[in-house]
Amino acid sequence: MISQHLSYKPRFHSSWTAIASPPTLPTQPDPGGSLGFYGSSQTRATQAVNSMVSLRGVSKVFPNGSLVLRDVDLEVRPGEFVFVTGVSGAGKSTLLRLLYGAEQATRGTVVVDQVCLFSSEGRRPYRIPPRPLAMLRRRLGVVFQDYRLLANRTLGENVAFVLRAQGLSPAEIRRRIGPTLKMVGLTEKRDRFPHELSGGEQQRLSLARAIVNMPVLLLADEPTGNLDPENSLLVLQILERLNSFGVTIIMTSHDPYLVERAGHRVVRIEGGHLYDMR
Amino acid sequence: MWALSRFFNKILYLLQETGLGLRRGGWLNWAAVSTLLVLLFLVGISIQLSWGVDATVQSLGGQLEISVYLEPERQAVDLQPQVTQLPHVAEVKVITKDQAWRTLLLEMGIEDEEAIQTQLGDNPLVDAMRVKADSTEALGEVAAHLRQLEGVDQVYYGDQVVQQLAQIQEMLRLGSLGITGVLALTAVAVITTTIRLIVMARRREIEVMQLVGATAAWIYLPFILQGCLFGVISALGAWGLVLGSQQLLQELLEKLIAFPFLKVIQADSNQLEFWFLPLMLLGMGVFLGTSSSLIAVRKSTSR
Repeated sequence: MISQHLSYKPRFHSSWTAIASPPTLPTQPDPGGSLGFYGSSQTRATQAVNSMVSLRGVSKVFPNGSLVLRDVDLEVRPGEFVFVTGVSGAGKSTLLRLLYGAEQATRGTVVVDQVCLFSSEGRRPYRIPPRPLAMLRRRLGVVFQDYRLLANRTLGENVAFVLRAQGLSPAEIRRRIGPTLKMVGLTEKRDRFPHELSGGEQQRLSLARAIVNMPVLLLADEPTGNLDPENSLLVLQILERLNSFGVTIIMTSHDPYLVERAGHRVVRIEGGHLYDMR
Repeated sequence: MWALSRFFNKILYLLQETGLGLRRGGWLNWAAVSTLLVLLFLVGISIQLSWGVDATVQSLGGQLEISVYLEPERQAVDLQPQVTQLPHVAEVKVITKDQAWRTLLLEMGIEDEEAIQTQLGDNPLVDAMRVKADSTEALGEVAAHLRQLEGVDQVYYGDQVVQQLAQIQEMLRLGSLGITGVLALTAVAVITTTIRLIVMARRREIEVMQLVGATAAWIYLPFILQGCLFGVISALGAWGLVLGSQQLLQELLEKLIAFPFLKVIQADSNQLEFWFLPLMLLGMGVFLGTSSSLIAVRKSTSR
């Protein structure tokens, strides 16, 4: 039933990853400064102009003193599919949280889709104000291991909630929900509630919620962490399908089998450092 | 056209979310509204009372008349020329004890002329004079002169009443200020708690909303609107209560304070003053409701 909507074709090396690995940095600084800076001018960050995600010398120290990321650099080009691996607690989630602004770096520069989220290069650290952050998040999709669905709303409402939160019209919302649910294979269960779904279905619903606003970048934090291999593969297939539409995807996973099978670019976090594996 | 439909979208969203908040609130809504209502009602009543007292003081001050009661055997007509010559006296009017008795009997409902005639024989009243001064300031001076005249028993004018009223005014002002302050704090506390509980109950949704790029205004405006709505409802209710209790208040006043002439002002709905009280209550309610919910959501606006 679901396979009707999905045509899974394994892609061992996308053309993007071929170009982007190892990441080459654009050396020409953008003179116009077309970056989404809000009142700050960091010169190094302008190098991020062709990247979807650009981390430069990013460190993250939690208030309790534990150092999670140590001087991390990461470039992700538009259209890439990147796996972030590492043992539990290595800082995979923290890395993603830096990208959608839920966490702030301690040092370094974080640029996502040409919007600077954080930079410590100026005299005073720059932090993105709430409104530009909200606007950036509208171009992102985020998926969690624990789904984070709204229990008292139906599937359709859960998906519509995102668009409502962004202020779209009811007509526009209705127009978008159908195709989105179809994409994750949950069309028939539109009026059910999340607790009536299996774990895999719940994760697909949270995926639907993340993509209904047509994001340019999808951040998936262990989306297969709670799922059996079959459902994991299904989620991966959906993500790859999205990727084939041009959506950049960064997914964390500690499942070596899945990572191996997918064959995309892999970065590994170990001891606060980031290593490009493939 | 596009902008208009977007505007209506926003309004619709706001109303839906506010409605949801109200449903989530349940009985807490009632707690918030009733606290605010009691506060606004008391404020309304005390404002009306002080307006009444103000008006009474003013009208009393305008009466520049001194009542002079003579000793029993004295004739007012004999004293009249003497009084007229006193400084600052504008007008002297004589009321003989017969006239006074007749008026009294008539007021008591005895209209039979013969009965009045027979009754007049043992008239217990004394002759009196109504003396008008040419200015309010001269009132005290004229009264002092009148007291010194021979044959004058007692001199009355409005100063005692005015003084007492001024005292009442002061007490009213202090009392209502104190009560308003305490109740306003209570109302703010109750509304803040209510809104915060609703925010907590919707924490999950708010989290998701923040995650998908809802602006802080979009998330929290429904809560602000809910607080504002508390204010509006309470103000309307309080005004209704004030209107309804005016008659009761008037009667109570007459019994409690021996000032039958103290009026609770009942303004005409055509007059501007009539709308002053409801507008004031509305403003206060909306201000308290809105600022309380602002306090409530301010702490939860994190990323």
